[in-house]
Amino acid sequence: MNIELVLFGAFALLTLLSAGLVIFAKSAISSAMSLVATFFFLAGIYVLLWAHTVAVLQVLVYAGAIMVLFLFVIMLLNLGEETSAGPRLTLSRILGGAAAAGLLVVLVMVIWRIPAPTTTFTGAQAVASGFGTLPAIGQVIYTQWLLPFEAVSLLLLVAMVGAVVVAKSRI
Amino acid sequence: MKRTLTMLFWFGVMFAHFVGIMALAYALGGLVEGVLPGGSRLTNLAILMVAVVMGIASLLTVAERKWSSLMQNRIGPNRARINLPILKDSALVGIPHFLADGMKMLFKEDFLPATANKLLYNLGPMLAFAPVFALYAVVPSGPTVQVFGHTVDMVVATPDFGLLYVFAIASLAVYGTSLAGWSSNNKFALLGGVRAASQMISYEVALGLSLVGLMMAFSTVQLPAFVGNVTNELGLGNAATGQARYLWEGKIGGFDIGLPAWGFLLQPLGFFLFFAAAFAETKRAPFDTPEGESEIIGYFVEYSGMKFGLFMISEFVEIVVLSGLIVVLFFGGYHLPFGGEWLSNLALMREHGWLYGTILGTVFWAKVMFFVWLQLAIRWTFPRFRYDQIQSLGWKILLPIGLFNVFATGALVLWDPSLRALAVFGLLQIGLLIALTTSSALKSEEGHGGHGHGHDAHGHDAHGHGLPAHGHAAHADTHSGAHSGAAAASH
Repeated sequence: MNIELVLFGAFALLTLLSAGLVIFAKSAISSAMSLVATFFFLAGIYVLLWAHTVAVLQVLVYAGAIMVLFLFVIMLLNLGEETSAGPRLTLSRILGGAAAAGLLVVLVMVIWRIPAPTTTFTGAQAVASGFGTLPAIGQVIYTQWLLPFEAVSLLLLVAMVGAVVVAKSRI
Repeated sequence: MKRTLTMLFWFGVMFAHFVGIMALAYALGGLVEGVLPGGSRLTNLAILMVAVVMGIASLLTVAERKWSSLMQNRIGPNRARINLPILKDSALVGIPHFLADGMKMLFKEDFLPATANKLLYNLGPMLAFAPVFALYAVVPSGPTVQVFGHTVDMVVATPDFGLLYVFAIASLAVYGTSLAGWSSNNKFALLGGVRAASQMISYEVALGLSLVGLMMAFSTVQLPAFVGNVTNELGLGNAATGQARYLWEGKIGGFDIGLPAWGFLLQPLGFFLFFAAAFAETKRAPFDTPEGESEIIGYFVEYSGMKFGLFMISEFVEIVVLSGLIVVLFFGGYHLPFGGEWLSNLALMREHGWLYGTILGTVFWAKVMFFVWLQLAIRWTFPRFRYDQIQSLGWKILLPIGLFNVFATGALVLWDPSLRALAVFGLLQIGLLIALTTSSALKSEEGHGGHGHGHDAHGHDAHGHGLPAHGHAAHADTHSGAHSGAAAASH
């Protein structure tokens, strides 16, 4: 039982707990804040996986930018507590539930099939190869994965222009 | 004369404190490093962040009131006194006021509005304070030296993603203010919270873009690497790096002199963008619409006691942290502009690393204090921007300039990796800015009919001094009776 395992257990438990709160919290603001907490605990798990750059980007992008916008919109609309009479079964909800269950089955099967002795990227090996550091990630992004990276940035640009067009009817 | 001497005396007191604290920090770091390797990070945390940053921030609560009173022709706080026989009941230029204020806030009723969301209401001040305080962890405040045979560096953490940590943590500060505004269940507070959120989101974009050019110029994101080291520092024989490197250098005997590669020379545009954007993030005037005392009071309208105090102190901590970041990124960190190589190769400095560290640490804090002063001076000089002006400044002026700066810097760094072309471009920018400023100042001078300004400055002097009669006499000597009408009006 090493410290890494203890920390992983703590972070995993807290991630599940706060993710549950996102769904079950009564007010929209509490849900949003629980989601922020989820991102933080997930960042902790990333650090344990020797992906500390991913962890800091998680905090920067999701907790620091996207969720702030969510919170801003919730505050601006001043959403109160949910007052619906309880869950109603609609077609989209049934289909959504089925899709989620299917995803769970696929994930469990994939994890089940992972061979036991996998190559490890943690520990001294990771330090030696600079795994997870900013220079290493930059090297890989701008050489090996340049095309997917640029494609994703193009996608973001399209989304941004689309948002402007939708929001502003007359430009 | 008396006023100048008083100022010099208090400057001396301040620098004596910095020298003492930095010497203590290095000595303690060396001792702890012997017992527990890596333990000097903990002493740095205790001394740099808890003692120095918090100390400066709490003293700034007094300094702001005192300096604003100097600027506004008042005497300022001087009533809180410590009744000790050695002090002869003196006002100590108002310094005991921060103790009095702290005591008042601690003993005030901790009021909770009946309809507030209790958990988030209590969480708000903590979430506002913690990120700005944690930001200082990556700011290096002194060189790495050998103390008692152990390597001691004057920084709490050196993550390899350096500046990303700054952006990530700084972007979290918005939660505290917006949650405080929302959870108070007060319309004014909600308005303040929403204004704070939108303002901080807008300026984060410009904040990130403003430093991209700097990262390209120094090809790093780690803060100690931005500061760098001088040639052959302490006889270690390594080449100069970062901002301690000279772009053009010469020697006078053993004394090195030249133009250092400071971020401000390479990236003047980046500096002004960063300063403006970071100033907006501190939510102080002229960017203080989230507070706006005269219109909505602010997101903390329902808070009392030390919870309000946390909001206030986090603003002052932000001032210190922002000054530290500016010094590290744009003004050479703890290095002297010239003579650094000479200093680090004196026999005395080579033998006593802690002495070298103490001197450069004091240089760092002196630079930080200058930018702290500059921020307070700006805060008391400009009126509040209108809300739409803040948004259009962020999106329509800072963002395009930031983008231009990124591309121009990239091209110049590619063209000339020695950064000299970038420095020439930077000097041209500075010259252009000075020319623009003086030309617009001349224009406004014509409009106002220049006399009033000079007169006002003298009036302030006289009152800040506490010797109105003497001030008037001096004033009458220098300016003849032509202004006496205006003098009567302004008094």
